[in-house]
Order: sequence, then structure tokens, then C-alpha cells
Amino acid sequence: MSMGSDAQQKIESYLGRLRAQLRGADDEEVREIVEELRSHIMDKAAPSGEVSSAGVDASLAALGSPEDLARQYITDNLLARAEVSRSPVRILESLFRWASLSVAGFFVLVVAIVGYVLGVVLILCAVLKPFHPHTAGLWVSRDSTGDLSFFLRLGFGSAPMVGRDVLGWWIIPIGLVVGFGLVMLTTRFALWCARLYRRSRVLPRG
Amino acid sequence: MKAHEASEQITGDKWEVQLRKGCLELAILAALWDGKLYGLEILRRMESDSDLIVTEGTIYPLLSRLKALGLVRSEWVESDAGHPRKYYALTPAGRHRLREMAGMWARFSSSMSKLLAPLGKGK
Repeated sequence: MSMGSDAQQKIESYLGRLRAQLRGADDEEVREIVEELRSHIMDKAAPSGEVSSAGVDASLAALGSPEDLARQYITDNLLARAEVSRSPVRILESLFRWASLSVAGFFVLVVAIVGYVLGVVLILCAVLKPFHPHTAGLWVSRDSTGDLSFFLRLGFGSAPMVGRDVLGWWIIPIGLVVGFGLVMLTTRFALWCARLYRRSRVLPRG
Repeated sequence: MKAHEASEQITGDKWEVQLRKGCLELAILAALWDGKLYGLEILRRMESDSDLIVTEGTIYPLLSRLKALGLVRSEWVESDAGHPRKYYALTPAGRHRLREMAGMWARFSSSMSKLLAPLGKGK
């Protein structure tokens, strides 16, 4: 097969942009994606064995932009992995990559981090309460202007000077139920957003 | 009036796009029923056997998703063209899922046809 350097350069530039967007993904996975698309472009651009610059242009145009393609890989993988494992760690991993590609992904990531952190802290409060009976739990205090502030304490260190423990031992059942609930809801929310995002991308007619 | 017509046109197109996208996974799995194929062959089969219009890039992330779900597996095979090609084949779980989906599709399409029957009787 013969190929002009112009055509070669176009292919490499497209694949380079795709690789850049997929950074952070597993190296082997990225290599497979890039090689598969390279093979597609070659087959498409050179049905008779001669790769022309115009043939490459047409096959790249039909593939869509590398940024779009990378986003599809990331949201599709996010869904597939989550369906298989539902692990928050894997979901966050994919969300970080999605966030680097789009504003929508960034917002989903922020909400997911808040949801997971709050959920995990609640669970930790409940688990640590038996070990720190006087210092762990949900504390509330009123400052001089009358504003209430709530804070979750894991109970390391001494008891706070102000405020009181509102839930007492109830932090154990409530913390566990609400904490695990939040982790599950956050997972659902992330999957729902990814699904919505997949659906909202309109297929241009190829 | 024009704006109203235009918005209806967009909604109609969107619906069609959603419909096609919803069927894409089933179409890809079905294309693999007879044996292993590489990406471009799957695309060509869908172009010739159906009028599912596909942006070419779309099927690769979908294939990688189907693989992550364990419905297809892949292998690289050397070709005469001078570069290797990534072939996909259904796994036993994929064959099972495809049968299930085909059954659901058949039931769905026959009930839709019944519902739509009055439209064919003319005015």
C-alpha cells in the first residue's frame, strides 16, 4: 500500500488529537482504540490500495471529530463499567475523564464528589460513634448572630467548646442509612446523567 | 406558523434519531450472529441490510461498551491490506442477550403494528 506524506500526516494528527483526549485511560485500551481507528481509516481511504489525501479527508469526516469520539468512548465505558461493577471508584475515575472533556461532565463530577464525600463521612460518623461516644456525631451550634451551623464530627480530638450533639446514638442508624443512601443515589445520578448525555448527542447523518 | 412547523420538524427528526440509536445495539449484535466481523464490515452490513444511518465513529465506542459488558469479544487478525483488523464475535452471553432482545423486538413491533393498523386503511 502506498500513501502520500500529506495523507499520513492527516491520519496521525487525527489520532494524536484522539489520544490526547483519552489521556488518563488505561494505556493498553487507548492503544487498541487508536489502532482500530487507524485500521478503519486505511480500509476506508484505500479500497484499491492507494491512500489518497482526499480519501483520508472523506473517511475522517465520516468518523466525526476526535473530541466527540473520545466523549462517546468515555460515557459509553462509564455506563458499561458501572452496570458491571457499580463501584464508586470506577465511576469517579470515568467522571474525571468526562470532566476534562466537557462542562456537563465537570458539573456531574462536582455533584458526585459532594455526594460521595458526604455519604462516606456520615457512614464514618456512625461507625466511629461507639469509639468516640462523647465527641462524634452531628453537632449544631448557634453563633452570636443566631445562625445555626451544622457539622459532622468524627470525634478525633476533644469535644467542641460550643454546640451540642443533636442525634446522640441515633447517628448510628441514621448515619448508616442516609450515608449508604447518598452513595447509592450519587451513583444513580452519575449513571442517569451519563445516559442522558448519550441520548442527547444527535447523530449527524453519515 | 413557520416557527411552529420548523419546531415540529426538529421534534420529528429527533424522535427518529432516538429510535435509530435505541436500535443500534440490537443491530450490531444481530450483524454478528453469523460470525466474526470487523468494524467496517459491521457498518457495511448495516448499510446494506437496513436503512439504519450510522455516523461511522459511533459504532466503535458502542462496540467497546458491548465488550465491557461481556456480550462480544475481540481479536486482532492480520490482513492482506497490510494492517491488522480488530474482529468482533458474540460471546455465549451475547447470543443469549441477542435472542432475548429479538423476542422483545418482535413483540413490541407486532403490538405497534396493531396500533398503527388504522392508519393504513386510508381516508
